Amino acid sequence: MYWDKEKIKSILPHREPFLFIDEVIKIDGTEKVVAVKNIKDNEGFFDGHFPGKPIMPGVLIIEAMAQTSIILFFVDKPEIAKAHPAYYLGKVKAELLAPVYPGDRLIIEAEKVKFLDYAAITDTIAKVNNKIVAKANLVFSIKTP
Amino acid sequence: MRGVATMSNIHEEEVKKMIAEITEVPEEKLTPDADFFNDLGIDSLKAIEIVAAFEKKYRIIIPEKDIPNIRNLRQITEYTKHLKKD
Repeated sequence: MYWDKEKIKSILPHREPFLFIDEVIKIDGTEKVVAVKNIKDNEGFFDGHFPGKPIMPGVLIIEAMAQTSIILFFVDKPEIAKAHPAYYLGKVKAELLAPVYPGDRLIIEAEKVKFLDYAAITDTIAKVNNKIVAKANLVFSIKTP
Repeated sequence: MRGVATMSNIHEEEVKKMIAEITEVPEEKLTPDADFFNDLGIDSLKAIEIVAAFEKKYRIIIPEKDIPNIRNLRQITEYTKHLKKD
């Protein structure tokens, strides 16, 4: 199972410069999604974080994890996700374990903990070169228009 | 039988501790009939956290349709009392 950016944009409401998934490379039933963000040298956030010393902000790694979680929610509950609800991140329990630099291929895995029609919990990890750089448990609310 | 712990009140105490921990509502406010939403101000995101925590502890799936009927400590204690703990 492979999704390109166009397919991802048909699910996620996010757009550049706040879309943090380039590809979906694996969908394991309705339990797990694996996505990729290729960290380019010219990402806008590197201009300020930090000048001459680019490091991906940890909150943006968490944002990529949240976007991957929304893809998983779509896979599990397409009938809700197709109505283009608003997704609000409500609670984050995260550990940031290693820096992410330009040129890194960030692999994000999201697993279902519990999905309801109006809320969802996922466990996520992010890796670079098979090393875990971040872990997060995310709780969201989903508001259907 | 005052002062003697019974299986059912041990279970109720465990359930109360779990809910207090997740919701940050003090245990003394978690009376058996206090409504999670109307009396204790527990919101829908805390509710899914409660559901997920009980599913993990008791290795069960709580169907979404049951959730509106688990609105206070008495109901959740009753719902889980025959289940095997993790």
